[in-house]
Amino acid sequence: MTILNGCEFPDDRAYFIERTQMTWVKTDGDLLTVGLTDPAQTRAGKILHVRVKAAGTARERGKPIATVESGKWAGPVMAPVSGTVVEANVEVEKDPGLLNTDPYGRGWIVRMTAASPAEVSALLTGATALARFREILEKDNIRCVRCQA
Amino acid sequence: MNETQTASAPSDPAGKKILMIMTSGPEDPDKTYAPFYTAALMAAMEIDTTMYFLMHAPELLRKGAAEKVPLKKGGNLKMFVDMALENGVKLMACAESCRDLCEIPPDELIDGVKLVGSATLADLALDADSVVSF
Repeated sequence: MTILNGCEFPDDRAYFIERTQMTWVKTDGDLLTVGLTDPAQTRAGKILHVRVKAAGTARERGKPIATVESGKWAGPVMAPVSGTVVEANVEVEKDPGLLNTDPYGRGWIVRMTAASPAEVSALLTGATALARFREILEKDNIRCVRCQA
Repeated sequence: MNETQTASAPSDPAGKKILMIMTSGPEDPDKTYAPFYTAALMAAMEIDTTMYFLMHAPELLRKGAAEKVPLKKGGNLKMFVDMALENGVKLMACAESCRDLCEIPPDELIDGVKLVGSATLADLALDADSVVSF
């Protein structure tokens, strides 16, 4: 685990960082689990509503796998790679605050398969990902907090 | 790749069209935040979302104007205008309102705004699945 500006970044994840998107990806065999990173949930603020695409939904990279509302922010959670949703986390729809309080654990959003190994390989990891996060945290002056439900 | 359903929603609105008509401007700040926020959310849900600004509403699209519209919980309208644009909301300003009522030259509108005639409102309304007015 690396901590930057109070933001946690588990070492066992890859990261999708593009425009305003900052999501994590954890690979387990053929399945990818996707969720919001600490700075992403901090920037959103206390999350009030989440809608997740259902299992069976095929997505191109960069198309929404979920939408998130916090009152001060409303936006999509983009698919980090092209593929198909295998499981949607219905728990975060019932308790959206999980995205704030446990973004790397119970706050996962979808499990999906990947259509392109090259897209998975292109996700950022290790020092490359941390350097990019450091740049964003400084530029946008983000210091992570975990909003309580 | 065309199957689109949400885990809990009865049906996915992706691909539908919504037209939002804005008539309030900076003179009524409380009426400005919700439309931009809602439009941003709709666009994130892959709804083809257009906001049409007429009467005094184009004043919100004048360069530097949104920054001067205060919000009740602090901050200003600019972040919500930016969020709507970022999510893909189309912003259209009535040319007649801009010219005759608001006196906004085209080059004083923020980037991303399309200046259109009144007839376009009819086209947009007839083409939309739903029209929402603020």
